[in-house]
Amino acid sequence: MALADFIADLNALSAEADASFASAADAAALEAARVEYLGAKAGRLKAVQQGLGKVDKADKPAAGKRFNEVKQAIEAAFAAAQERQSRGAVVAEREAFDVTLPGRPVRLGRLHPVTQTIAEMKDIMGRLGFTAVEGPEIEDDWHNFEALNIPRSHPARDPLDNFYLATAQLTPGESPGAKSLGGKPLLLRSQTSTVQIRVMESTPPPVRIISLGRVYRPDTADATHYPMFHQIEGLLIDRGVTMADLKSVLRLFCQSYFGSVEAGGQDVHVRFRPSFFPFTEPSVEVDMSWTNAAGEHGWLEMGGAGMVDPNVLRAVGYDPEEVTGFAFGLGVERICMRQHGITDIRALYENDVRFLEQF
Amino acid sequence: MIVSLDWLAEYVALPKSLDELTERLTLTGLNLEGVQQAGDDTGVDLEVTSNRPDCLGHVGVAREIAVLWQKELKVPAPQPKAQGKPVDSLASVTIDAPELCPRYTARVIKGVKIGPSPAWLANRLRTLGIAVINNVVDATNYVMMECGQPLHAFDFAKLKGGKIIVRESRPGEKFTAINHQEYELSAGTCVIADAERAVALAGVMGGADSEVSAGTVDLLIESADFECMSVRATARALNLHSPSSYRFERGVDPEGIDWASRRCCELILELAGGELAEGVLDEGSERPARPEIKLRFEQLPRVLGIDVPPQEVRKILTDLGCEETHECGHCVKAIPPSWRADLTREIDLIEEVARIYGYEQIPEDAGVKMAASTRTRSDRVLERVRGVMFAAGFYEAMTLSAVESAWCEAFRPWTSAAPLAASTPVLRRADRLRQSLVPSLLAARRHNEKLSNPNIELFEVAKVYLPEAGELPRERRVLSATTGRGFLDAKGIIESVVAAVAPAARIAIEAAEFPLLDPARQAVAKLGDQLLGVVGELGDSGRDRFELRSPAAVLELDLELLIEAAELRTTVAPLSPYPPVARDLNIVVDEAVRWSAVEETARVAGGELVEAISYEETYRDEKRLGAGKKSLLFGVQLRSANGTLTNEEADAVRDRIVAALAKSVGGALRA
Repeated sequence: MALADFIADLNALSAEADASFASAADAAALEAARVEYLGAKAGRLKAVQQGLGKVDKADKPAAGKRFNEVKQAIEAAFAAAQERQSRGAVVAEREAFDVTLPGRPVRLGRLHPVTQTIAEMKDIMGRLGFTAVEGPEIEDDWHNFEALNIPRSHPARDPLDNFYLATAQLTPGESPGAKSLGGKPLLLRSQTSTVQIRVMESTPPPVRIISLGRVYRPDTADATHYPMFHQIEGLLIDRGVTMADLKSVLRLFCQSYFGSVEAGGQDVHVRFRPSFFPFTEPSVEVDMSWTNAAGEHGWLEMGGAGMVDPNVLRAVGYDPEEVTGFAFGLGVERICMRQHGITDIRALYENDVRFLEQF
Repeated sequence: MIVSLDWLAEYVALPKSLDELTERLTLTGLNLEGVQQAGDDTGVDLEVTSNRPDCLGHVGVAREIAVLWQKELKVPAPQPKAQGKPVDSLASVTIDAPELCPRYTARVIKGVKIGPSPAWLANRLRTLGIAVINNVVDATNYVMMECGQPLHAFDFAKLKGGKIIVRESRPGEKFTAINHQEYELSAGTCVIADAERAVALAGVMGGADSEVSAGTVDLLIESADFECMSVRATARALNLHSPSSYRFERGVDPEGIDWASRRCCELILELAGGELAEGVLDEGSERPARPEIKLRFEQLPRVLGIDVPPQEVRKILTDLGCEETHECGHCVKAIPPSWRADLTREIDLIEEVARIYGYEQIPEDAGVKMAASTRTRSDRVLERVRGVMFAAGFYEAMTLSAVESAWCEAFRPWTSAAPLAASTPVLRRADRLRQSLVPSLLAARRHNEKLSNPNIELFEVAKVYLPEAGELPRERRVLSATTGRGFLDAKGIIESVVAAVAPAARIAIEAAEFPLLDPARQAVAKLGDQLLGVVGELGDSGRDRFELRSPAAVLELDLELLIEAAELRTTVAPLSPYPPVARDLNIVVDEAVRWSAVEETARVAGGELVEAISYEETYRDEKRLGAGKKSLLFGVQLRSANGTLTNEEADAVRDRIVAALAKSVGGALRA
């Protein structure tokens, strides 16, 4: 066989194989083409290889070289076709799987914004060494008034300013329950200072607590008032506790709560304005400094505070010549509302799930 | 208290800047509420705390300014000229209720000419927002706003017998006030009467038929002290609040009563003419002298945390009107001024010193001692409980602690005692202290249904109030929830909460009969012999009661019990290195057989190799199983701590279980 004829056969085969691989529509057609050209037993390349033996001996090296070249080319063409096809399959698979579909949601709950506010306050006060305590919401005259230096004549005791428990609601046969103790009516506590009295009565100084929970005052419900709200009150009684300690603890609290590094880390300051509460003397209103992005600054009312009145210390059996102490109280709702931009306190108690969902 | 700057300037030199004035006053006790321009004058609204009635008049505010800016306070000394007959020949004053009226003074002016007030006076009253009436009434209001002592001018001709009698009201006594409304007075109301009838409610409001009118010629000017509780009670009872009652409720300066009377008469003579009767009718007891108060200098740093120089302390007290009676290196003694009834103790003087010296002097970076704080057991448990509810997809609600009576009766698993009630509703009809949170949450559910909100899954942690005879009520904190899911989901919440808090606690489920709930789909959970919780789907009537459209289930759990049972620090169990072996069982039993009995039997029979028993499903097929039968499919996972279990060992356990079930519940392995 002439070398030229052999090479011509090889070239024709190579061109056919290329065309055949390129036109194979799917994996099966490609496999059929592979068997036709590269099949180990009956492939056409194999058939051509047999022609190699008939080539003139002198031409054999050239023919063999060319054969190998063509074989590699056909194999490469097959590999390329295979690669092309599998790439197409991935594309199709990807197309059929939409990664932008919504993930399968985990339906998580929500904690009430007031709970979250309280938790953060407790957390900060805990780091400042104050242990959180709670106490009864229904209180007696002693804990809600008398021990807090609120005498009988004080307007804070007015029935219109408190929810006293009714005594004449009973129908015959009902058990009387406890609507008064020792002839004095019970009431829904109007402040959480009651808890401080209970703790001081049962614990010798030092005392370092925050008391918190629901309190009740007969306010008509409107955007800023609700007859039930939450208070958090701090109390520190020890030897040598001063108003400077009070100011410093309040500044640390405000700095932790409002002046976090993430929020810009501004220095927060507090100031005192004289005020009047029966259970503290001196009594002050506490303001916190604020600065906004525009560089404006001012003062924000935080709550009431003061040095525990000697009468209160005596009422719980402490000696005001031995120990001093401070107390402060913050309205939870007010701070919560400010933090979240809530403009109507009633939203906190309406329990619309669209509202709760946002926390 | 609105003050007129024009008026204040009469008593003290004001700082140039209004901001400087209000800023300093705010920081020393008179909080700025607002500023209003009124013609050429400026009205400054200052908040006066209830312990400082001395600042309910311009002189009092001027005194504060004088102390703070170290200026002289100029208070007029009224000397009205008396040219008439002796007053006691014209009128008389009797106090029949000395406990309600410690002091009553009266002066008489004859022959006044009622007319309009001059512009300077009318303008000042307008700055304060006080209605301008006529020269006499305006003069009484003017002096009240000057010194804080309320005054009243009677038309003397209308006082029967020329008599003033301060007494308690008679039963059923009626009174027509200057607002021309008639009031029936409750017994014990302090009234000013003439010989025949009440002509004024003491300290609260004058009467219509003795008021000063255009035809009035002769006046009786009252300047008195009335007991604060009595004035407050009258004002509250009749809902008659006046600038006068406001001041008496807080207390007036006992030494300022006569000054106010003279000042008022002087002004009336000037504005309305007339002739002042000689002398004053002055009844009542002398107040006991104020005792001196000792202030130990060492107490200032002890309370305030800063030193205040003793000479500074003495100056502040003296400037404020205290009379120094003693001074040494250690302490100062002083008698507070009559207008400061709030100063009775050392600590009160410390507050005065601090206030004037300036709270800004107190540092905000004191080295407060460190202390360890602990989280209470209940706080730890509540955090876990909330964590479970959060993970279970519940939103935390907060509802009012009081409910209306019908709600209270709707569901009360914890007590049968009548609910406690507030004497006035906390909100709308809600006057009962609730004994379960379930009704409140169902109401919240209804609210959300009405808003077409999907996924109403709510929980609340709050107290219920259970009456106890002769003691404070028992307040139990409970967890309550409502879900649109079914009984088993709600029950699963209880189980998950218990597992998260008290993993070792074994709760028993028993049938229950709450009318609110579906008769079949409700149960109570018990811990030992104590009621731990309730769970159930709402029945039709329960849904109707709360106007709910969609199915709902509720649960309530006694958290106090759970807090007691809580296991907050677990001790780990050793893990077996050997693999588990599982066996499935399919047992046919009567319909009445409860899963709990099957599980318990299997657990006991299986013995310690049983690691877990997991219920799979219940299968019913009358044809294959027979009527009244069901098949319970469940898996038993076995594991040994000592070696890999062989199939024979596992089968032996299964066979023991099957045999025990046959005996205890009549169960048969399903063919």
